[in-house]
Amino acid sequence: MTSRLRRLALLGAAAVFGVAASAPKEPLPPYSGAYEPQTVDERGLWMQLDEAERRLRDSAFVLKEPALTEYVRAVLCRTVGTDRCRGARIYVVRNPEFNASMAPNGMMVVNSGLLVRVRDEAELAAILGHEFAHFEQRHSLHRFQHTRSMTDVVAWMSVVAASGASYQVRSTAINVANSAVGSMFAFGRDEEREADLLGAKYMIAAGYDPNALPDIWNRAMDEADATAFGRKQKSHRYDRLSFFASHPTDLQRATYLRTLVAGMGQGDAGREPLQTAVKPLRGAFLADQIKLNDFGGTEYLFGQLAGDTWDAELLCARGDLYRTRGNPRDLVSAAAFYTQAIALDPANADAYRGLGLAQLRGGDAHGVDALKRYLALRPDAPDHAMIQTLLP
Amino acid sequence: MRHTLSAAMAVLCLLASSTAFAQEKSGNKPGFTLRPGSTRILLIRPTIKVGAQSTGGMFEPNADWTQQARDNLGAALDAAQQQLGNQVIVAQEPIGPAAATFAGYRALFSVLADSVIEYQFFPGNRLPTKKRKGAFEWTMGPGVAEIAKGTGCDYALFIFDEDQYGSTGRKFLQVFAAMAYVQVKSGEHRGYAGLVDLHSGDLVWLNADQAMGGDVRTVEGAQKRVRQLLENFPGSTPPAAQIATASGQ
Repeated sequence: MTSRLRRLALLGAAAVFGVAASAPKEPLPPYSGAYEPQTVDERGLWMQLDEAERRLRDSAFVLKEPALTEYVRAVLCRTVGTDRCRGARIYVVRNPEFNASMAPNGMMVVNSGLLVRVRDEAELAAILGHEFAHFEQRHSLHRFQHTRSMTDVVAWMSVVAASGASYQVRSTAINVANSAVGSMFAFGRDEEREADLLGAKYMIAAGYDPNALPDIWNRAMDEADATAFGRKQKSHRYDRLSFFASHPTDLQRATYLRTLVAGMGQGDAGREPLQTAVKPLRGAFLADQIKLNDFGGTEYLFGQLAGDTWDAELLCARGDLYRTRGNPRDLVSAAAFYTQAIALDPANADAYRGLGLAQLRGGDAHGVDALKRYLALRPDAPDHAMIQTLLP
Repeated sequence: MRHTLSAAMAVLCLLASSTAFAQEKSGNKPGFTLRPGSTRILLIRPTIKVGAQSTGGMFEPNADWTQQARDNLGAALDAAQQQLGNQVIVAQEPIGPAAATFAGYRALFSVLADSVIEYQFFPGNRLPTKKRKGAFEWTMGPGVAEIAKGTGCDYALFIFDEDQYGSTGRKFLQVFAAMAYVQVKSGEHRGYAGLVDLHSGDLVWLNADQAMGGDVRTVEGAQKRVRQLLENFPGSTPPAAQIATASGQ
């Protein structure tokens, strides 16, 4: 069936079964002061998310770090403007995945895995602008309504397909149902593209470096490839969409954003402010990343973070990564990373701890000295008793 | 062939929501009875979701219905417990570190309830430690007392309720599907209520009904729902009958 026929069949089904073809336009933007949701659908969504936000607000996963949260808010406000950003409440969540989201009621969730991956403030602004665009354009609501219409079509077509109608009719019904399923995912991808473009407009207007937009997706592909390689899996296909894809592929996003920003020149990258804001918590974020058991991807990420200068914290984290994998050769590498970290920062207790554990596991009795040094540097260590059992 | 397969898949998807299996729906700790007339029960903010079920089976949240259900269920519960002489105290939202503790125990309870439903109420799936006849050994630990600090409560009551009312489209689909010999379920009404002893942290009673009656959007319906929810609630049987006569049902 051609795509035009398919669309006609869909429209026909929509007309027959009373499915709303398009949502009415709401007058006020959702970020306006004390906005109240309007339609039954919007009010229902907001009600659900208000409940979710009550739970999230008190969740142990939300970082209680006012300085970091304030920094993210400041970046959002600079990106979308102070009048718009007043509609957002920001929750920085300890979650090592590279992601952020913004709910229809203005609840913005920023993962620690995002903060550790963005290289500068411009990249953070690009992501925040994208999420804010979803919120401003009421994407969740529209996708909910579209999905509802399409599942209605699927339900009716399934009944027709299961009925005693002729083969022609049943076969057409199945085609319509399949198109409806495809349409749900295509709708979501269109929204992602729209959010990419509106988000880009915001961050460029705010004076941030436009090149940050495509760079994020190039690195995301490289990291995914490193993960796949480390796990001995096939790499992802970026040149074509899968039927169920929720977003355009990273390559598509990198490509259209690269085209968009071509010839725009440089902007404000803001590398320093981002690194200053994330610095106090970076060690904890790196530890979460190591627990993902993703050796290839983590090795890539650490390399990206280091550039050409490895600091003591990164060396120590890299040692932890190797020590966690724990092959005899990894223990040797880990010990070397810890030693380099100690050379850079002789008061780094964590490096002494890792060095001691790696050496003892590798059969090297010098580990005892390193562990003693660790306990001396950190007398109130929570694992004091545990480490003590390893000492003679 | 491919078409037949897709059709079968689609039909399976439609049917997925209508599973029904022999499952127990309530349990209580052996020997537990609520002493009427003296107990103070802390009601934790109930998790309530009320909405419609679209033709395709999606949940459509409805803010008005949810608020009505919240008000009606609260009033019905209060009335039911007053008949017993017990006092239901609505937990206030805490602030500061207490909020995190409170949220933690709320999350713990939902995990606990899900575990009981999965590993105790479904006999074929019972954990080896839960197989002894009459056993009901589940606890949140004595630390849960902290959420009721200063309220003087003996028990904490947790309620979860989800209602999806079949939309007109869903009902039409049900009729037409029946003509094609396909079963479609319209509406979904499930919930659970659990009581935790605040002194020991033990779960003393849990009722999880996956098919409950009573329209929670109305006062009478909510009363019926609360009666069903508190069914087999140790120590609440005789007055529950009184409520039934009082409301003329």
